[in-house]
Amino acid sequence: MAPAELEKADVEEQAVPDVPWITIVWNDPVNLMSYVTYVFESYFGYPRAKAEKLMMDVHRKGRAVVSQGSRDEMERDTEAMHEFGLWATFQKDT
Amino acid sequence: MSRPFRRTRGGVLVQLDAHERALLGRLLDDVDGLLAADADERDGVSSNASASLDDDLMAVLEAQLTPRPPSDPAVARLLPDGNREDPELAAGYRRLSEHGLRERKRAALGRASSALRRPAPVLLDTSEALALLKGLTDVRLVLGERLGLRTDEDAELLHDVVAAGPADPLAAAAALYDALTWWQESLVSALR
Repeated sequence: MAPAELEKADVEEQAVPDVPWITIVWNDPVNLMSYVTYVFESYFGYPRAKAEKLMMDVHRKGRAVVSQGSRDEMERDTEAMHEFGLWATFQKDT
Repeated sequence: MSRPFRRTRGGVLVQLDAHERALLGRLLDDVDGLLAADADERDGVSSNASASLDDDLMAVLEAQLTPRPPSDPAVARLLPDGNREDPELAAGYRRLSEHGLRERKRAALGRASSALRRPAPVLLDTSEALALLKGLTDVRLVLGERLGLRTDEDAELLHDVVAAGPADPLAAAAALYDALTWWQESLVSALR
């Protein structure tokens, strides 16, 4: 039983890197531009310029892709954004 | 008018007066209360599982396996869907993250509220300041939802409501929202 399970897990894991996932932050009327920039800097460790550019994308275009990676990582990032009160979702990068 | 928050060598100094600190503390507690009520609602679902009749059991299991967003829209804004198009992804995310997220938000609200209740001068350490920053966000999200803010234009219109004065029934809430916005802006600057 155990080895068969293991093989199945291996196959599933191999499929993951081919399909990167993304975290998106959406515009909302409440969160402040300075706060959103602060969150991108402090959580992702992005330099000020990159954090500000992402914030302006959220503000002007309505959304920005803020991170990319495995599904687990994107779920973690989404949860962190929700903890900061930002409106975030994760999805497969298409 | 002095800044509501100021960075000092010993931490972030709260320069709000006693009345403002008490008000903010109460708002943080109110949001914690909303999250507590939401937790009870969810727990109600789980504890019914053992007691319910067989025909309810499927419904209970379904509610646990595919949890829906909180029924109060303000709480749903605090604990939003992780995906807006794929209900299965959203339910999976909610099942894994919602409990922990709600507890961490409640912990931050509690930590911020108790810090504000200390005798003045109130000096916040980094983790208290961060808890207050997140807590202020959650308070503004709830108030924004109650005020019906949906777009950036709605938020702009709030200033007109404040300017209209007490004649507008929304004026008091809008003025409170404005003050909270100014306080949060100041706290972000103090943390930079």
